[in-house]
Amino acid sequence: MKLVTFVSDYKMTVDTLDRLKPEKLGIILVQNGVYHATTKENGKPSSMLNYSANYYVLQEDLETRGLSAANVIDSKVKVIKYGDIVDLMFNEYDKSAWL
Amino acid sequence: MGKLTIGCFASLVGSTNLDFAVKLSAAAMEKGHKVDLWVSGNGTMISIKDQRAFKDYSSLEKPLKELMAKGLNVTACEACAESRGYHADHTLEGVKRFSMDWYLGSAFDADRLLHIGGE
Repeated sequence: MKLVTFVSDYKMTVDTLDRLKPEKLGIILVQNGVYHATTKENGKPSSMLNYSANYYVLQEDLETRGLSAANVIDSKVKVIKYGDIVDLMFNEYDKSAWL
Repeated sequence: MGKLTIGCFASLVGSTNLDFAVKLSAAAMEKGHKVDLWVSGNGTMISIKDQRAFKDYSSLEKPLKELMAKGLNVTACEACAESRGYHADHTLEGVKRFSMDWYLGSAFDADRLLHIGGE
C-alpha cells in the first residue's frame, strides 16, 4: 500500500504513524502541521521528521503563518502547492489518511 | 483523469479543514478530475446560504458557488444539518442533502478518497 498521510496539527504525540507499515509513506504537513517542518524544540527538530517517508509541506499554510521555504529546517521536506497534492494523491500514492 | 471524493467532518468553528477541502477540490478540478465533496458534523455549516463575509475570516460561500458552477458535487449530511438547525430553506443553492450512504456510494467508485476527520 502506498499511503499519503496529511498531518494537520502540531501535536507531538502522533503515534498513529508508528503503527502504519505501508510499503511507501508520504507525509504532507498542512495547517498547523507545517510547524513540524520549521520548529526546533530544545535544539532538536520535530520527531515527526524521523520516519522513513517522503516529506512535503504546503506552501500556502506556511505563508499564512508568516513562514516560507527559507524557514524549513530540513531539506528533505519539499515545499508544494495544492496542485502538487493532487498529483501526489493520483500518481504516487493510492490511499490517504488525515491526522 | 479520475474521481476524488473528499469527506470533511470539520469540527470546531474556525477549523480550517473546510478551507483545505475546498481548495483541494479546486486544485483537483483544475487538473481535470471530478470531485465529490461530502460535509458532515460542523462541516455542514458550509451548506448555509447568505453567510456574511468578514475580513480575515474564512468565508467559503463564494468559492463554493464558483466551483459548483464548474461541476463540483457538494452534499451535506441531512441529519447533521437538521440537528444544527440548518434547514432545507437555509441551504445554499446547488448543495444537496442526503444521508451518509451518499458518501459511501461516492467513495465506493472514487479513484482516490480523502477523509478529513474532525478535531
